[in-house]
Amino acid sequence: MTTESDARDELIDLAADFYDQFAAGDIPEMTLPTRTKSNIEYDEASGVWTYGDRTSTRSANSVRGARKLLKAAYTIEFLANQLDDDRSSTLRELYYLSESWNNDEAQFKSQDESNDLVEDLEIVTGVTREDFHMRPEESGAKVMGPLEIREQTNRGDREIHCQLDVGQGGYQIPNNPDTIEFLDNDAEFVLCVETGGMRDRLVENGFDEAHDALVVHLGGQPARATRRLTKRFRDELDLPVVVFTDGDPWSYRIYGSVAYGSIKSAHLSKYLATPEARFIGIQPEDIVEYDLPSDPLSDSDVNALESELEDPRFQTDYWEEQIELQLDIGKKSEQQSLASRGLDFVTDTYLPERLGEMGVL
Amino acid sequence: MTSFQSTIGDEEGIAEELAEGQREISIAEFFEKNKHMLGFDSGARGLVTAVKEAVDNALDATEEAGYLPDIYIEIEEVGDYYRVVIEDNGPGITKEQLPKVFGKLLYGSRFHTREQNRGQQGIGISAAVLYSQLTSGQPAKITSRPKGQSRAQYFELIIDTDTNEPEIKADEETTWDRPHGTRIELEMEANMRARQQLHDYVKHTAVVNPHARIELREPGLDEPLKFERATDELPAETEEIRPHPHGVELGALIKMLEATESYSVSGFLQEEFTRVGKKTADSVIDNFRDVYYGRELAWSPPRARDDRDVASAVSEAVANKGAEATTAFAEGVAETVGNSDRITRSELAEVVDTVAETVENDTDKTFGGTVRENAVDAAWRAVTGLGGDADEATDSGGDTESGDDADESPLVADAYALVDEATSTRKDDAAVQAMAEALARRFENLDGDAFRITRDDLERLVADAASFVAEQRDATFGETARENVVEAFWSRARRVPDDPPKVKAIAGSRDAAADLLDAMRTTDILAPPTDCLAPITAELVEAGLRKEYDADFYAAATRDAEVHGGDPFIVEAGIAYGGEIPADGSVELLRFANRVPLVYQRGACATTDVIKRIGWRNYGLDQPGGSGLPNGPAVISIHVASTNVPFTSESKDALANVPAIEDEIELAVREAARELKSFLNKRRSMQQRREKQDVLGKILPEMADKVSEVTGRPRPDIDGALARIMNNVSVEREVNGESVTLVVENHSDVNEALEITDIVSTEPTDLSDGTVVDMDGEWFVQWKPEVPSGDERELTYAVDGDPEFEVSVGGVETEKLTVNA
Repeated sequence: MTTESDARDELIDLAADFYDQFAAGDIPEMTLPTRTKSNIEYDEASGVWTYGDRTSTRSANSVRGARKLLKAAYTIEFLANQLDDDRSSTLRELYYLSESWNNDEAQFKSQDESNDLVEDLEIVTGVTREDFHMRPEESGAKVMGPLEIREQTNRGDREIHCQLDVGQGGYQIPNNPDTIEFLDNDAEFVLCVETGGMRDRLVENGFDEAHDALVVHLGGQPARATRRLTKRFRDELDLPVVVFTDGDPWSYRIYGSVAYGSIKSAHLSKYLATPEARFIGIQPEDIVEYDLPSDPLSDSDVNALESELEDPRFQTDYWEEQIELQLDIGKKSEQQSLASRGLDFVTDTYLPERLGEMGVL
Repeated sequence: MTSFQSTIGDEEGIAEELAEGQREISIAEFFEKNKHMLGFDSGARGLVTAVKEAVDNALDATEEAGYLPDIYIEIEEVGDYYRVVIEDNGPGITKEQLPKVFGKLLYGSRFHTREQNRGQQGIGISAAVLYSQLTSGQPAKITSRPKGQSRAQYFELIIDTDTNEPEIKADEETTWDRPHGTRIELEMEANMRARQQLHDYVKHTAVVNPHARIELREPGLDEPLKFERATDELPAETEEIRPHPHGVELGALIKMLEATESYSVSGFLQEEFTRVGKKTADSVIDNFRDVYYGRELAWSPPRARDDRDVASAVSEAVANKGAEATTAFAEGVAETVGNSDRITRSELAEVVDTVAETVENDTDKTFGGTVRENAVDAAWRAVTGLGGDADEATDSGGDTESGDDADESPLVADAYALVDEATSTRKDDAAVQAMAEALARRFENLDGDAFRITRDDLERLVADAASFVAEQRDATFGETARENVVEAFWSRARRVPDDPPKVKAIAGSRDAAADLLDAMRTTDILAPPTDCLAPITAELVEAGLRKEYDADFYAAATRDAEVHGGDPFIVEAGIAYGGEIPADGSVELLRFANRVPLVYQRGACATTDVIKRIGWRNYGLDQPGGSGLPNGPAVISIHVASTNVPFTSESKDALANVPAIEDEIELAVREAARELKSFLNKRRSMQQRREKQDVLGKILPEMADKVSEVTGRPRPDIDGALARIMNNVSVEREVNGESVTLVVENHSDVNEALEITDIVSTEPTDLSDGTVVDMDGEWFVQWKPEVPSGDERELTYAVDGDPEFEVSVGGVETEKLTVNA
């Protein structure tokens, strides 16, 4: 990983590139990989999906391009100063902060624009956002399980046990999980759970204690910190990772971003994705096998499933089989539909059965 | 109206009574009751029409005499009436003609000519006189001074509406300050509610007559409206042409036939019409023969197996000529006839004549007229199988069914072959046979034995036969089949050798004249010459618009002459866009016919229809709904010049919807509109370029400042990048000691030809190329480099000391240019 001074140097180098282009009488430009589904490729070595060879260029040749590069120059200055001062800020703060810049053209029109620009800078400099000291507004989710860590905080290092030292809510993952040091653990595996309701059910039923599981709450599409921490669990603690979500196409994408990386942050896949993570359920197969209460697939569900069939990340035998089965039965089920068999069914029966099948337990 | 029919028995002498009430209506009286037809239907409109008629006349008169028109229009309130004064600098009108020109309806020099003129009927100005006298009771006051006369002639005249004759109330000499010209003063009941139309008319007249100077004074104007001339060039003089054969109507043709001094039709055609020479006259006459006499159907001569024998028939018909001569004659005729595929009676007569002469030469025997006629009759009977007593008996019954092949007329076999050939193979044989028989019977019933028939009659006959066959045999001969059958017979029929009737005979017969007209129209004849037209020319159309409309852009197009109904016409269009032209509402449409603005009935005019159906969005104008009049700051002018402009009515307000003219209008307008489009596109891209330049010109320096701040380096020079970004042409000066270099870089995507002038305060030497001129201690160094797209040029010279420079660059739009020198 880069250090903070590396990060600052990388930013200054980018500004220097612009400078040199101006000085040579050339039009300043910035080349980025094209960030679309059609330009992600499977990286054999790392087992994750990263950007392919196609690139697009942001050039000052057009008014739009020139505005982008002007904003980039201002943002570079801001980030460099922030690193100098050892401060940090959120993406949203960056958006509001641009209002204070003495140049109307450099101000962001929306937060999407500033978020995208920060991602652009990550890609071009090869430095992660976290190393720019930029953090998302919504922090990472929570961990509950037999693990002891040391976290560097602004108020000094803290040693925390993620079962004994935390409340019912669990340990809050910090924005930059690389500030965490793993001290000790008794964990057998990592269970990533999509919904808060299911996480609470597992904790209430003592699933983490019963099976020595690290229960990670994803909270919808997982934040980078959550995905990064999950990857560290796998890589540094050598724990198997399973992902437990609803049984619908949107949830499969949550699994996809944990396991394979997301399209928007494919440049960070090697750093964020856990290709060893496996999907535990709800599988379309389970809807049939456990006769779960279900909803019919909507048109957009069907479109999403069909689009997943074409997504290079999902082109495996397992997923093709499951997705085609789901299209066939035309149904989807939520995690909590397991409650139709009783509140303990998920912890006593479903998960142990599935984990057994997968060879985790 | 009550009917007199019911009482006609009761009251004797009603016809006489009615006759007493009938009298000749003078044309003036007629128009008195039909003022609206001439554009005098209201006081407001009457005023405009009076001005229009007088101005049209004035323009025609001045142009004809070769003077640049200088026209003065004045409208004054006089008590309850308005006084209209129009003065021109024309040639004046002679004392003898003056009362007639102004005081007699339908007196004009133009009605009978084919030449492009503003007025045509000779109604307009006298109608204005009439209108004034009817509404105010005042005579028209006319002053005219022909060139060279020391004094002018002053008249007061009214029109006697009973006799259509002018009545002179005053006739005296007077003085007038114009050296030559005409002044007419009319008092009439009117109002100025049509002020806008009046102004439009005068303004539009000025647009379309850029060679005229016009001044208008009217009570609503503080200052007179003056329209100065934009050119000293008079419109090209027009040639009068004779009528074109495609452009006359039956009544006119009969009149021409009556009036001509020619004796033969050929002479008449060549003498009275344009584009008709001997050859064309012959083709017209050939076509005339076809419609007037019809063609003779041709039949195939007897073949060997037939029992009809031409030779024996002929020899039987010849008596007292000796065996040798008779045989030679008979066999000669039979052989010639036998050699031809099909023959008509006229052709047979020719054959008989030729053979008779040959035999006469060889044998000393004379074959006189009677003998020849008998021989023709006999041979014709042998060819057609008709004329014998037996034939009379079998066939007079008409459409009786006769299935007996032995008695079958040889015509049936011929007809069968043609019908069979003309119809599709799916027609069954019996139907074809029935049709052939039905046709043959009808041919036999034709008058005379030469089978003469016109195409119309042939069509009727075939249709009749077809419906008979349809009834009897349930076999249909549809329209196409019938047409094919007609064509098969007609194409094999021969044109008759008869001479056409003489002109006098045709003039005396309406039908014959109609046939001649028909023949004239069906003959291909060269389009009429176009030197009878005087288009304004695209250049002057544009000049006219430029003169009266302060716009950003002008375009004009003149089409080549086209012909409609024997009258040549030319369409011109012009467009002005932007500038001071009001941007709200629809565009202004100027309509002109023979240089006369059309003010009323815009909605009924063909020009409006054409403008409405053009898709103006393609040309960069706003057009709500994609059809109708476009919106925006534009003026579209359309001029149609013709020897006979087709108007929708006598008041000449709107062009009639003639497809040939509409097409040309559309093409002319589209031609001008294409230029508008490229102008608007260019302007739009210039605008975008300017905007881009503005924004980038602000952003890039700021970006450069920021990156130099972040990197801690001095501010970079960004001019090169700027020039490139804006597809610019940049001119940059580099001074290195004594040597001065101007670097011209072309970053645009087209080649640029520049004109660069550098003004130097000390004398330059060693020029790379270019020229230097000493202007009072300043030196003008000039280059005209051509720089290809993406390339650069260096222009160098040397100077002493520390001179001052001032560079100016031309040949490139300023938006594209970056000068740093």
